[in-house]
Amino acid sequence: MAAIDMPIAGGHASDAHGDPDAMYLDAKKGIASWMLTLDHKRIGLMYLTMISLAFLAGGTFALLLRIELFSRGKTIVDAETYNRFFTLHGAIMVFLFIIPSVPGALGNFFLPIMVGAKDVAFPRLNLLSFYLYLCGATLALCSIVMGSIDTGWTFYTPYSVQTTNSVISMTMGVFVLGFSSILTGLNFLVTVHTMRAPGITWTRLPLFVWGMYATALMQILATPVLAITLLLLCAERFFGIGIFDPKLGGDPVLFQHFFWFYSHPAVYIMIVPGMAIVSELIATFSRRAIFGQFAIAMSSIALALLGFLVWGHHMFTAGMSEFSTMLFSALTMLVAIPSGVKVFNWTATLYRGSIVWASPMLYALAFIFLFAIGGLTGLFLGTLSVDVHLTDTYFVVAHFHYVMMGGTVIGFLGGLLYWWPKMTGKMHDEVKAKIGFVFVFVGFNVTFMSQFIMGSRGMPRRYYDYLPQYEPFHRASTIGSWILGIGLFLTAYTLLEALWKGKKAPRNPWGSAGYEWMTDTPPCLVNFHETPIITRGPYDYHLATPEELATGWDEVEAAAPPAKKSDRPHSK
Amino acid sequence: MNEPNAPATFQLPEQMSTVSGDIDWLYYFIYWLSVVLFVAIVTTMIYWAIKYRERKGHKAEPTGHNLTLEIAWTIAPLFILAFLFHKGFQGYMDLAVAPANSIEIRVNAKQWSWEFVYPNGGSSSELHVPAHKPVKLIMGSGDVLHSFYVPALRVKRDVVPGMFTSVWFEATHVGHDDIACAEYCGGRSTGPSGELPYEPSDDPRNPYPPGQATGHWAMHAMLFVETDDDYEKFLKSVGDKCEEFASTGKLCPAEIAAAQGQRLYGNKGCLACHTTTGAPGIGPSWKGIWGKEESTNVGMVKVDENYVRESILDPQAKIVTGFGPVMPTFRGQVSNLELDELMAYIKSLK
Repeated sequence: MAAIDMPIAGGHASDAHGDPDAMYLDAKKGIASWMLTLDHKRIGLMYLTMISLAFLAGGTFALLLRIELFSRGKTIVDAETYNRFFTLHGAIMVFLFIIPSVPGALGNFFLPIMVGAKDVAFPRLNLLSFYLYLCGATLALCSIVMGSIDTGWTFYTPYSVQTTNSVISMTMGVFVLGFSSILTGLNFLVTVHTMRAPGITWTRLPLFVWGMYATALMQILATPVLAITLLLLCAERFFGIGIFDPKLGGDPVLFQHFFWFYSHPAVYIMIVPGMAIVSELIATFSRRAIFGQFAIAMSSIALALLGFLVWGHHMFTAGMSEFSTMLFSALTMLVAIPSGVKVFNWTATLYRGSIVWASPMLYALAFIFLFAIGGLTGLFLGTLSVDVHLTDTYFVVAHFHYVMMGGTVIGFLGGLLYWWPKMTGKMHDEVKAKIGFVFVFVGFNVTFMSQFIMGSRGMPRRYYDYLPQYEPFHRASTIGSWILGIGLFLTAYTLLEALWKGKKAPRNPWGSAGYEWMTDTPPCLVNFHETPIITRGPYDYHLATPEELATGWDEVEAAAPPAKKSDRPHSK
Repeated sequence: MNEPNAPATFQLPEQMSTVSGDIDWLYYFIYWLSVVLFVAIVTTMIYWAIKYRERKGHKAEPTGHNLTLEIAWTIAPLFILAFLFHKGFQGYMDLAVAPANSIEIRVNAKQWSWEFVYPNGGSSSELHVPAHKPVKLIMGSGDVLHSFYVPALRVKRDVVPGMFTSVWFEATHVGHDDIACAEYCGGRSTGPSGELPYEPSDDPRNPYPPGQATGHWAMHAMLFVETDDDYEKFLKSVGDKCEEFASTGKLCPAEIAAAQGQRLYGNKGCLACHTTTGAPGIGPSWKGIWGKEESTNVGMVKVDENYVRESILDPQAKIVTGFGPVMPTFRGQVSNLELDELMAYIKSLK
């Protein structure tokens, strides 16, 4: 384990993993140096690779679903295949992509750097969590080979007790993935509490770290409930113990309670990291601290806590008592407060800032736009009598895609573009990134805006075929999905192209005051050659020295022809 | 069916029930509230992002504090939220409490069809109801979860195996709409591994072709709201066999169910503890008990389908005050059909 008191030299990394001052990708070479690495940055990159593959798989299923729904009747696949596709799309996107995405990839890479630590508190657990993720993902994918699961990602009983046996491998996969999630959360909590560099007080903690901290709390507290629920589901199938199956005296609604007791906090496990990234992006590209920084941090914690009290709003028509629905509706309304606080604070940050229209900032502004829609449509669904009409229709599908994709995925893409130079040392092509953004933004809105309308008109979810009056909306949605797909491929190409064609990135290409930009690009194995001593907040542009804020572009250009002299001092 | 339908708007389907006006008002209230807030946030965001764009000679000002502003936008939404919650809950209670004089129609949902059983014992796969009369649907499922959804009525309720759920509505005019299943319940392609071509049909009453692929989406049924005369005619056509039965000296189907229940009352041994005369036995008498509010060890309980079902299958759950916890469970000994028959019998003991 890494030493918690953070000695300047020594520790685990230097002994087994090469020169602590070497760039982390050069410190050691070979397959084993990746497979057995304890370096949080390499583990982050491995996570990034795996979740990108998961996103590709889940996205492929999404595009196939949309093509199937382009016309009435059978378009490309039969009904059973369609049911499998939407189950796999949901399960892969939720459990294999969104939940591990920001914490596993960006969190692992940047959380230790942003608190000035050399690694996470438990590097071996960190590697274990990655391998658990691989095991869980493999088990989950086995269900495709085993005849494929068709229950929807929610595994509602009693259908999931009666359908094919591939439910077992999928639920066991999700069970194992849960442990991966718990270990990551545990690691982050301990790291934030014990390994902050001198001067990083709680009030100077970057908002990304606050977001990861809130997420970690939820991961640790909620995931075990999902694990118990899924084990009970397996026990029900194997032994017929009669917890959920009404034929055996069980209660199918109980499963929904258990399931949403995890899966609603999971919604915040997904969105809070997205918000955390956006807070970083807006601060950097406005060149000033987030307005109401403390309120932003506390609203993440508030969301994490409220997230535990509102699971019943998934079940307003499921057969709960009127008293329960009343409580859950009232508590659900409260979620709007911290969500609104965040949106207002982000917007207020722009006032009298100096706004850089860089590609990550476009994603951050798009996040506010899309999350506002996702959040406001939540008001329709939290209002009981209106929810009765809208629940289980495409309105709900559109609502959670605006939050999950328009929120988390857009934030994730923004974060990826923002930190890509720090992670890889290479700068992507901003023009291509912005063109990709336009496609993503337009495509996303076309895809899901049409789903809002068909939903409020009464089109239910998870339908293989539909009535003629919904066809124009389905067609618009499918065409939107193609635009969105083009945008995502273009963005992926832009990032990958940077690896072999990109300019060398300087230390601080965006001119940020954040702590992670104080170190080398890419960072050395131990993140900082010397433990940093922090004397200001991560967004205190007025306190940062010109050296700290210097982008370093001048040196890069000086090193490459055509030479351009710079009179700025070296920024390190 | 010639009456004009209340018009559909771009966002919402036509209104066909007494509650739909209130619900739509609330929908559009939230819609316009959202539009105003959204436009305000996004135009402010874009305006500032352009006005304060990075350029030569322009520098960001350090962020200040404005506690009043922050408290204001934390507290102010609470009033709107409280209003939305209040209106939403009010509307929900309207949907939850059926008028006492409702026509009761039994709904059986199964993979993948609906069956509607009318008070006279007749049944059909399309739902016919009279206009201007409250109708209460008592719904059960024999297999997995389903959900009864009629967009124009603005009602939706899950149909859960192992319990009864109910939904009520009063249609405001003659017309028709689609009934959909809103809770995923599986599906499959029939024929050799689904090789049959699946072609949707243009028949609005039967939009999904029978005999090919079937599933969740194909649980489509029509709702017909009719005049009283048409409804009476319909009842006769599907099952008002009472007259027919009477002419042959037999009972009509609803009475058959009750008679069947009476037989079970003897065979299953209910009569050992429950009288049908109103005299108390070891357990409460069945006479006049249906629909009554009974005081139990867990508070007041209405004697309805769910309570009777529970009391047969799990007798200790709610015990009527003054009686002991002595009844054994009948779980596994009475089928769903027999439960219905017992209830028909208890209902008949007015």
